[in-house]
Amino acid sequence: MEILGLAIVIVLMLVATIFVVRFLVLKSPTEYRKGFVSSELASNMLNTLLKTAAIDCSQLTITELLQDCSQARSITCDNGEESCQHTESIAKNVFTQTLDKWSMQYEFLAYTDPKSPLIKLGKTCKAEKRSKIFPIPISTATMYTKLDICG
Amino acid sequence: MHIDLLNFNIKMKRAQIQIGETIAVLFVFFILIIIGFMFYVKVIKDNIDIEKEEMSQLRSVGISQRIMFLPEIQCSEDNIIIDNCIDILKLDYAQSIMKENEIYYYDLLEFSDVNVVQIYPGEAKWNIYSRKTEDFSSKFVTNVPVSLYDPASRKHGFGVLTIETLFK
Repeated sequence: MEILGLAIVIVLMLVATIFVVRFLVLKSPTEYRKGFVSSELASNMLNTLLKTAAIDCSQLTITELLQDCSQARSITCDNGEESCQHTESIAKNVFTQTLDKWSMQYEFLAYTDPKSPLIKLGKTCKAEKRSKIFPIPISTATMYTKLDICG
Repeated sequence: MHIDLLNFNIKMKRAQIQIGETIAVLFVFFILIIIGFMFYVKVIKDNIDIEKEEMSQLRSVGISQRIMFLPEIQCSEDNIIIDNCIDILKLDYAQSIMKENEIYYYDLLEFSDVNVVQIYPGEAKWNIYSRKTEDFSSKFVTNVPVSLYDPASRKHGFGVLTIETLFK
């Protein structure tokens, strides 16, 4: 009879321990900051990049260079690069000093047809990602710039 | 008489054995209580650490947002605020204003180090607020891409607002 009592006590203690371990010990802190940072990052990065003026291209913005890149390709910058090449080199420079430096994986695309992008930088995200798409009006249709930040 | 003495001795030995048993059970019981208490204290301590970490994260997000919307550095055109944009002409003045009113800005920004780094075109760096502490327990670095507006040329550059927050 005493043994039975002892067995019940041990079972109750085991159940309590499992409960405590499951709900209290294995609890990890909620990543409030990560959510804020990743939601701000993709949007701000793309928004800021599109507004940036290219010093070697008559101070035209990246948006204007992309519009030319998807249509006539008539702009040649001071360093001899065409609008597409120049946009790509500015974007590459910016991403190298930001996302690459912060060890963040990303994929940047500028396209009218997603199957054949005009500019592609970075690598495709394999798992979770934060994505931002900005449409840019052009005379024939709409072109898009897309930035995926992995993780 | 002899039998009574024998019975008494047997009873005494049984009582002693039972007292010994009770002491052993109580000893094991208290050991278990102490182990349980130590486990409970550890769990509570871990939970407090987790909550402290979460609070620090929330405070860090709050400080970052306060900096991003500081009128001292934010761009505006015809009194209309432009989001996610820093006026580079305001930056130099903001630096001196923040140094002169250190206590006011400490209430807003606590222990932090705020830098604006220009990425394109060219490279430049402005430190707009810096108040650090040596004995911090947590440190967060938040990088926010921002547009750097030059009102003289009316053109935008690309920059990063780096906010380092320290908590005791």
